[in-house]
Amino acid sequence: MPATVPVSAVDVYDPEVVNNPFEVYDELRESGPVVYFEKYGVFALPRYQEVREALSDPEHFISGAGVGLTKEGNAPIIGTLLASDDPLHATLRAVLSEQLSPRELRKLGERLQAQADALVAEAVGLGTFDAITDLSARFPVSVVADLVGLPEEGREKLLPGANAIFSTRFGPERDDIAQFWPAAKAYVEYIAASCNRETLAPGSWGAAVLDAADENRLAGTPPAQSLSAILIAGMDTTVNLLGSFLRILAEQPQVWADLKADPSLISSGITETLRIESPVQGFYREVRGDVELGGHRFDEGDRVMVMFGAANRDPRQYENPAQFDLRRNPLDHLAFGYGLHGCVGQHLAKMEARALLTSLLAQVESIELAGTPEQRYNPVLRGLVHLPVRVTPAPGGVQ
Amino acid sequence: MRIEVDRHRCEGFGMCEEVAPDLYALDDDGNLQVHEGDLAPGVEARAASGARVCPVAALKLVST
Repeated sequence: MPATVPVSAVDVYDPEVVNNPFEVYDELRESGPVVYFEKYGVFALPRYQEVREALSDPEHFISGAGVGLTKEGNAPIIGTLLASDDPLHATLRAVLSEQLSPRELRKLGERLQAQADALVAEAVGLGTFDAITDLSARFPVSVVADLVGLPEEGREKLLPGANAIFSTRFGPERDDIAQFWPAAKAYVEYIAASCNRETLAPGSWGAAVLDAADENRLAGTPPAQSLSAILIAGMDTTVNLLGSFLRILAEQPQVWADLKADPSLISSGITETLRIESPVQGFYREVRGDVELGGHRFDEGDRVMVMFGAANRDPRQYENPAQFDLRRNPLDHLAFGYGLHGCVGQHLAKMEARALLTSLLAQVESIELAGTPEQRYNPVLRGLVHLPVRVTPAPGGVQ
Repeated sequence: MRIEVDRHRCEGFGMCEEVAPDLYALDDDGNLQVHEGDLAPGVEARAASGARVCPVAALKLVST
């Protein structure tokens, strides 16, 4: 037990804290740049500067020992893009970095917009709908599953599977998380069964993963693991981003009015949503060698939580951090991580959000809550499971 | 000071260009072109802002 850093008894995975973590984050940030969670025997970085520094130093703060809390959860993800270090990490990242580059993604722009327009039209036609299940949860699943080349049949397994994977791989040992292990296993089996040329569409990202395997560009790792990594990283996270933004729009009429008046603020609004409601609230790094950070000297093997969600609301970095400011455009936020492991799919996520918001602004006159938003319990993902909204169609807006 | 690009890291996200389009620009092939050589003192701060928002930390300012 370290004597030099504040020890906290808080459990950041407690469902009540997960539901509303921000007061706890405030306390943690105020207690110091490095804190120790006695319940789990890990360190945590709740401030912006230290999270950014740790992410900037992947040689001392490694990912290859797993980025989740427990050994059991980390075991199945070690050796994936997310939980590896260079050179393996660079090898795996190269497989799809071309497809995910803005240059390549630009070609998808029109298709994404058409998909978003159709989904929004369907939802707007309902008048009152669930902005998660009827909209936010549908769009990234269809986009990413199309890109990966998965058949329509079986796609309903993707979101529940990703939720189970996130819960079991990154969270603590708890009964309400243990129940997800069978779903996580079923998901892994579904991906393994889908990871072949008969199932995956030719020319798809899935086929590109199989090409990489055939050409020995996966460093001997199973192609299903890379396929799974893309699907898991690319869905639930984006669903949460979209849902969080829609909640802000439904709850804050002024933000909606400002966006309606000036749609060029969409990108800034997306960036601000990522900051204030970071879809991934925190991962871990493990210390290698001798390193000091935030005035604390870490020992080899220390586990350190990088608290993206807390860092992004650090008043040392952002004025009035709890306030959603449509014009803030905080491009240096850490919701996608930073540096070596910076989210490889971030441009796609932002394109999806832009397409959806563009459709909404064109087709909807006003949006308001039609019920109480319901937060989901997931130990690392922040997002909603239900968001009832009522919309008024824009005059001549619905296609 | 001048801008240094880690070509292995850069994936063409273009956020540097969003911040300082006169110093950073993606060409038609999506490759990053940066201001070559010494930065005038007046633009150093913007060059630093552009480097700061690189999501994969591929940019830095180094002394010439």
